[in-house]
Amino acid sequence: MMRSAPVQAVWRPGFTRAIVGGALGFAIGGGAMAVLGVLGVGVKPGHILGVGYLGTLFGFLLGIGAFRFWLTWMIGREIDADEEHESHGKAGDWKRYFRFTTDHKVIGVQYLVTAFLLFFTAGMAAMFMRFELAQPGVATDKDLYNIIMSTHGAMMITVALISVIGGLGNYLVPIMVGTRDMAFPKANALSYWLLPIPLLFVAINPLLGGFDSGWTAYPPLSQQANLGQQAYLMAFVTIGASSILSAVNFLVTVFRMRAPGMSLMRMPIFVWALTVTATLVLIATSVVAGAMTMLLFDRLIGTSFFRVKGGGDVILFQHLFWFYSHPAVYIMAVPGLGAILEIVPVFARKPLFAYPLAVFSFIAIGVLSFMVWAHHMFVSGMATFFHIPIMFTTELISVPTGLVFFSAIGTLWMGRIRFKVPMLWVYGFLWAFVIGGITGVFLADVPTDITLSDSYFVVAHFHYTIIGSTIYGLFAGTYFWFPKITGRMYSERLGRLHFWWFTIAFNLTFLPMFWLGIQGMRRRVADYPADLGGVNLFVSIMAVNIALSVAVFAFNMIRSWRGKRVAMADNPWDAQTLEWICTSPPPIENFAHIPTVTSAPYEYGTPPMSAPPVPAGGRPQP
Amino acid sequence: MSPGRHALVAVLAWAVLSAIGVFLVLGMQIMPQIASHEAEIENNAFVLLTAVSVPVLMFVVVGIVYSALYFRAGPDTADGPPTQASSRLQAAWLIVTTLMVIGLFVYGTFGLIEIRGAQESTFEVEVHAKQWSWEFDYDDAGFAANELHIPVDQRVHLIINSNDAIHSLWLPALGIKQDAVPGRPTEAYVTATQLGTYNVLCAELCGFGHTIMTSSVVVSTQAELDAWMQQQQEAASP
Repeated sequence: MMRSAPVQAVWRPGFTRAIVGGALGFAIGGGAMAVLGVLGVGVKPGHILGVGYLGTLFGFLLGIGAFRFWLTWMIGREIDADEEHESHGKAGDWKRYFRFTTDHKVIGVQYLVTAFLLFFTAGMAAMFMRFELAQPGVATDKDLYNIIMSTHGAMMITVALISVIGGLGNYLVPIMVGTRDMAFPKANALSYWLLPIPLLFVAINPLLGGFDSGWTAYPPLSQQANLGQQAYLMAFVTIGASSILSAVNFLVTVFRMRAPGMSLMRMPIFVWALTVTATLVLIATSVVAGAMTMLLFDRLIGTSFFRVKGGGDVILFQHLFWFYSHPAVYIMAVPGLGAILEIVPVFARKPLFAYPLAVFSFIAIGVLSFMVWAHHMFVSGMATFFHIPIMFTTELISVPTGLVFFSAIGTLWMGRIRFKVPMLWVYGFLWAFVIGGITGVFLADVPTDITLSDSYFVVAHFHYTIIGSTIYGLFAGTYFWFPKITGRMYSERLGRLHFWWFTIAFNLTFLPMFWLGIQGMRRRVADYPADLGGVNLFVSIMAVNIALSVAVFAFNMIRSWRGKRVAMADNPWDAQTLEWICTSPPPIENFAHIPTVTSAPYEYGTPPMSAPPVPAGGRPQP
Repeated sequence: MSPGRHALVAVLAWAVLSAIGVFLVLGMQIMPQIASHEAEIENNAFVLLTAVSVPVLMFVVVGIVYSALYFRAGPDTADGPPTQASSRLQAAWLIVTTLMVIGLFVYGTFGLIEIRGAQESTFEVEVHAKQWSWEFDYDDAGFAANELHIPVDQRVHLIINSNDAIHSLWLPALGIKQDAVPGRPTEAYVTATQLGTYNVLCAELCGFGHTIMTSSVVVSTQAELDAWMQQQQEAASP
């Protein structure tokens, strides 16, 4: 039976059907609750939103076709082999990015583009904040400021959580370990398609009254706040489910699907970083999802987990929240560190210095990250003696973190460094992340933390650590792998402009914030003492420069990607990891034949094993 | 230059820069106001941590600048030497960084004990935080005020509570920050050393009015404090 094109678009699994499904789902879920409300069973707007959200999420996923293979299996039918094959997507077809496509490279690009769009949106929120903060006094509206600030935080946290691991990780890990796809391609696609609906609800939360509790959502504030808060909590749990799904996929891929000869200690350091990250995600995320769900129950069905009047405890939430959310800092940072250490050897033309120690550092960071959460609570009134072990573990984590510098600088030392754009970002990382690291010690030390906690010093510190690791790693990695992903080369000149502009503006934005914090400027406020006005104006101007520099990046990427394909080597950087033996972009399923790995990933300066023996007198030295 | 020469020059540069940095930092007053014993401990910790940070920062700075200056690739495409870290260097790095951490930890623990340890006082005020204002209860005297008045040179006990959101009592000049948590009173001890009037801020996001939740703390002599309390008492009981 032939159907007309629009009817077919609604009928076939795809983006159109997903949007229709999402809208229908909201109507059915929300509508059912509204009917119950009319019947007088005490339905609150939150209930309509909650069930409507679930309807939207499942309607959208059914529409995109996320469950069609599993549902077919479930009812005992064979799935259509052509349809399954088609779900890899056709190379060069842009529509596959808007479908339930199982090719890990498509999913990587979906994550990466989503993360950048979210980054730009949250950056616009930051521009609003800096506009408000440019002058003392309240220029716009202090309630609106809190809403925009909370949304900025929620979105940027998501960017940091999904960009490197979801984007670059999905694209590269299967290729780097020498296999054809992730272990569970359909679950991989599902973990991406779980994201649009929660992100939409975070984006529209101001229309639901917004939420003023910040991304940390501490009760009782988050129990009092508007419906926007509920949208954020539901989104958080959904994104958490997506992360767990993706983490399982990474771990199985890395541990079960490596090419012959790819021993664990021959894995690229980036893969190691993502392996540790996935482990953290798997262990920690369900704790915070539990805490957020308990909060939702407190709001919606009258439980009292965190409600003091019902015998609950608000500090319990902080413990549960930070038990995930401090490891989450490393879930954000470690992929960035991995990308940086992956790039250093390629442009320094040396093997990664102390590779086993770098692996150890990621594992040690991962283990220690579970023992430091309470340093977020040094002024919360928890037992005094408990500050002491937490202070110790928090300071101890700087030892493995320091190893990253040891490894990076050791690799640079005596190298033959090529200052291409990705390498510039590595240098920017070294500067930014060491500032983030040493200021972290001030917040780990209880006496200084008493005065610094909840001040702008904290704001400056975490922007230095997260931008320093995740965002610098993301930019470095995006430039580095751009030719591999697109088969085109970006403009080196615009890349340099982006780097210098961003780095100068970033430092001039956040360095003064350390000073502002010491002067007593609180975080999360729309107004501040008048004598801090001059510095804040300067900071606001510099923040605009960050946004402008990112616009240069976006322009460079879009122009280079849309531009004509130029003749370019598949391996423009002379790198040695497996993704560079593929074509650019790699074909669907990556390798015609699975390669056999015979050496470590960074054998620069060593002749390849297949090369003729070294003539008498040794290798020519540079 | 030989690898040994490079290392020597870099280490010298690092030592000189670190020494200059530490010299500049020591003796600095970093916190803008120090009006209490606690703030003084915190400022000292601040100075010490900054001094320790300088060599760490300089290690990275020298690594960045030196490698960018001296280890640039030439026009040829030769690779660098495949050098690896000796196990002695790795062990030394681990031992030095771990010892630094232990040193900082011990120092921080002493600071913590000094600030939060001594649990006796001669003066007590109950602090009620609410959305979005402060109330200071002088229970013994039977009145409440919206400004905090405390005597100089006495160990003051602050009992802090809240009935709505979590707030945080921040006295920046007195080096005190303590959350007000619904359902469980918290406490802080402070020994003011300088007379004057200072800011009281809420440091924990407590809702839309968080920005305006401010007050002031007056550190006065016992005589002035008595006079003020007298006056407040009379106003409270007409």
